[in-house]
Amino acid sequence: MSADSNNVKILVFACRWCGLFGADAAGRQRIELPVSFRVIPVECAGYVEPDLVIRAFASGVTGVAVLGCHVGGCRFNDANHPALKRLELLKTLLDTTGIGGNRLLLGFGTTHEWHQYVETILGFYRELEGLPSMGAWVPVKQ
Amino acid sequence: MPKVTVFLCDCFGEIGKVIDLESIRKRFNADPAVDGVTITESLCLASDVERALSAIHDRGIGKVLIGACSPYGRMEFVRLGLVKKGAELRHVRTVDLREGCAWIHRKDPEGAFRKAASQLDMELALLQNMQDSKDITVRLQQETLVIGAGPAGLSAACGLARLGFRVHLVERGSAPGGLLNIISQAYPGGESGSEKIGLRLEEVSRNHHISFYGKTRVVSVKGQAGDFKVTLAGPEGKTGLRVGAIVLATGARILFPQGLHGYGKLKNVITQMEMERQFSTGKPACRTAVFIQCVGARNIDRPYCSTICCPLSLKNAMRIIDEIPGAKAYVLHRDIMTPGSILEAYYRKALEKGVQFIRFDAARPPGVLGEGQVGEVQVFDAISGVTRTIETDLVVLSTPLIADPESAALARMLEIPVDKYGFFAEVYPNHPVETLNDGIFICGTARWPVSSDQAIAQGEAAAMKAASFLGKKMVSALAMSRMPDQKVGHASVNSDACTGCGNCMAVCPYGACRLQRMGNRSVSRVIKIRCKACGNCVSVCPNGAMQMPELNDRAVCQMIRRAFREVR
Repeated sequence: MSADSNNVKILVFACRWCGLFGADAAGRQRIELPVSFRVIPVECAGYVEPDLVIRAFASGVTGVAVLGCHVGGCRFNDANHPALKRLELLKTLLDTTGIGGNRLLLGFGTTHEWHQYVETILGFYRELEGLPSMGAWVPVKQ
Repeated sequence: MPKVTVFLCDCFGEIGKVIDLESIRKRFNADPAVDGVTITESLCLASDVERALSAIHDRGIGKVLIGACSPYGRMEFVRLGLVKKGAELRHVRTVDLREGCAWIHRKDPEGAFRKAASQLDMELALLQNMQDSKDITVRLQQETLVIGAGPAGLSAACGLARLGFRVHLVERGSAPGGLLNIISQAYPGGESGSEKIGLRLEEVSRNHHISFYGKTRVVSVKGQAGDFKVTLAGPEGKTGLRVGAIVLATGARILFPQGLHGYGKLKNVITQMEMERQFSTGKPACRTAVFIQCVGARNIDRPYCSTICCPLSLKNAMRIIDEIPGAKAYVLHRDIMTPGSILEAYYRKALEKGVQFIRFDAARPPGVLGEGQVGEVQVFDAISGVTRTIETDLVVLSTPLIADPESAALARMLEIPVDKYGFFAEVYPNHPVETLNDGIFICGTARWPVSSDQAIAQGEAAAMKAASFLGKKMVSALAMSRMPDQKVGHASVNSDACTGCGNCMAVCPYGACRLQRMGNRSVSRVIKIRCKACGNCVSVCPNGAMQMPELNDRAVCQMIRRAFREVR
C-alpha cells in the first residue's frame, strides 16, 4: 500500500469545517488508510481554484479531492455553492483534455463523518489504482 | 525572512512509535529555513509548552511549526496559548501527525514517515512564502438605530439605552406599539396590549438616551459594521445619522383572507384581528362563534405555523363563553399548537370551559354556508369520520402573520438576505439574532412569527448582541469573524493587475468586494471589516490580482509541489 508501488498520489483539499472533521474522526477511530494522500487544509472549499487543481495534475498528482460542506451548509454563507459549480465545470474540462473528470473528486457534504471520509478516500484510491499515472515528477526551475 | 522553529510532539509515544521523529528532526535540521527542531514528550504538558515558549522567546518570536495532534484535539489550545504569549496566530501552523498520520498508517511506518515529512514540508513552504495581511482597526460608533417600535423594537431600544448607548428609535406609524395596538387582550396573562408594553413606552419617553422618530422611514443605509451612515426621512425632512449597529424589528403583517371561507362575501365572517377590534370597543354580538384555524397557513405557499393563532383563538373562544351568557364556541383546527407548560395549561382551561374542538383534515376544509349572512358551517370531523353541521352567526378566521411587503426593499438596502417567505434570515441557526451583515441584528416577527412575549425576549437578545459588539469601542478587521481566533487574514487586491471584471463582487457571500473608480478604470476593493476570508474571490479572479496573503498562490503551489516530493 505504499505510494510508489502503484503511483497513486492523492491531493486532498479539505475544508476545515467538514473534510477535516471527518479526517480527525477517522484518525480517532484508528482506521487504516493508504498513505498515498496529502491534505491541504483550507478555510472553505471556495478557496480551491481550478487553476490549483490543474497545477496539481501538472506536477504529477494522480487525483485531487476537494472536500467541503454540503451545499446550503457552508460556514461562509453560500461560498461553497459557486465553488461546486466551478469545479463541476472543471470536470468537464478535464474530460475534454483527456485527463479525465474522474480524477477530480468533489465531496461536498459527504465527508463529515469518519465512515464517510474513509469510504470516500478508499473509494477514490481504488478508482485511481486502475488509472495510469500522471507521469514522473519533473521539477520546474523558477 | 524569519526562520521557522519546529516542534514535534511525541504524544507519549503515540506518534513516535509509528513515525521516526528522530529522522524527521535530522532532516529538518538540515533545512536552511529551519531554526532548530525540538522533540517534546507531549505538548499537552504545561512544562513542555513553557519550554517551547522559552525556546521561541530565545530565538525571537518568529514562525512556529508544530507537528502534533489534530486541530480539533488539544492542538488549538496550544496554538492559542502561544498566541497569548506573543506569537502571531498566522505564524503558528500545525500539522496533524497523530490523527492524520500515525493513527491511520500504523501498518506502514515507512509510508507514514514519508507522509509526515511531506506534510511538515508543505506547511514549512507555506510559512516561508506567507505574506501578512494589512489589518485595520476601526472605531465603533456608539449610537444605535432601532427600526420598528413594536414590542421587539421597544425592548431592544430600552435594553440598549439602559446600557448607555444612544438609541434612535424609528417608527413608520405615528405611535409605537406595533401589532399589540390592535390586541385587546394579550394571552395568556389577560392584560391589554397597551398594558403589556406600557412600562417600555414610559421608559422610551423618560430615558434621554432614546430619541423617538414617528412617521419616519429609513431611506438609505451605507457603510459597514461599526459605522453605518443612515438617512431617515420624516415629517421634519431628512436626518443623517452615523450608527454602529442596527436592530431590525419591523414586524409582520396579518394575511387578509380575501375569498377564503366566504370572507368579503358573507357578513359575519371576520378575521381574528377584526374580532380583537370588536372586543376593544365592546363585545361581539353572537350566540355561536366558530373559529377556523390555519386559514392560508400550513399550505403549499406558506408551510409554516404562525405560532400566535392557536393561543389567540383559545383566548377569544374563552372570552365569548365568559362574557356572553349561553354562547357557544367551536374551534375547528388541524392541530392545536400550544407549546410550553403555560400555553398547554391554557388549552386545558379552554377544554374545561366547554370550548368544543373539532379536528378537520387539510384536504377537506370546512365549508361556510349562508346567503349574505353566515348560516352554518359544515365540517368533516377527521376523528369521528362524520360531517357535522354547526349553526352559527359568527365565523372567525385565523390567518397567519406574513412578511411585511417593505421587508424586501429594506433587506436590499441593508444587504441581508430574506428567507423564502420574505422574513429576514438569520445567519446561522446558532446565531439566531445575527445576520449576514455584521452589525445588523434582527428580532421579533420580522424574522419569524412569534408571540409578543418572545418578541420582547428577542428584542432584549438583539440589544445584548449589539451592545457586546459596540462595547469593544475599537475593533480590528481580523477580529470580525464568527469564529473568534480563527481568521488570520483577508483578501487583498493588487490594483495594478485588477481589470475590474467584477467576478469577485459577484461571488463574495458577504458583499465585501466592491468596484471603485480609479482614474479611467474600475478596480476591485475589499472592505476588510466585511471579509471573512473564505477565498472565493481568489478562485474566480482571472489574473491573480486578488490574493489571500496568508495563503497566496505561490505558497500553495509550493505546497502542491512538495506534496509528493521524494523524501530522503
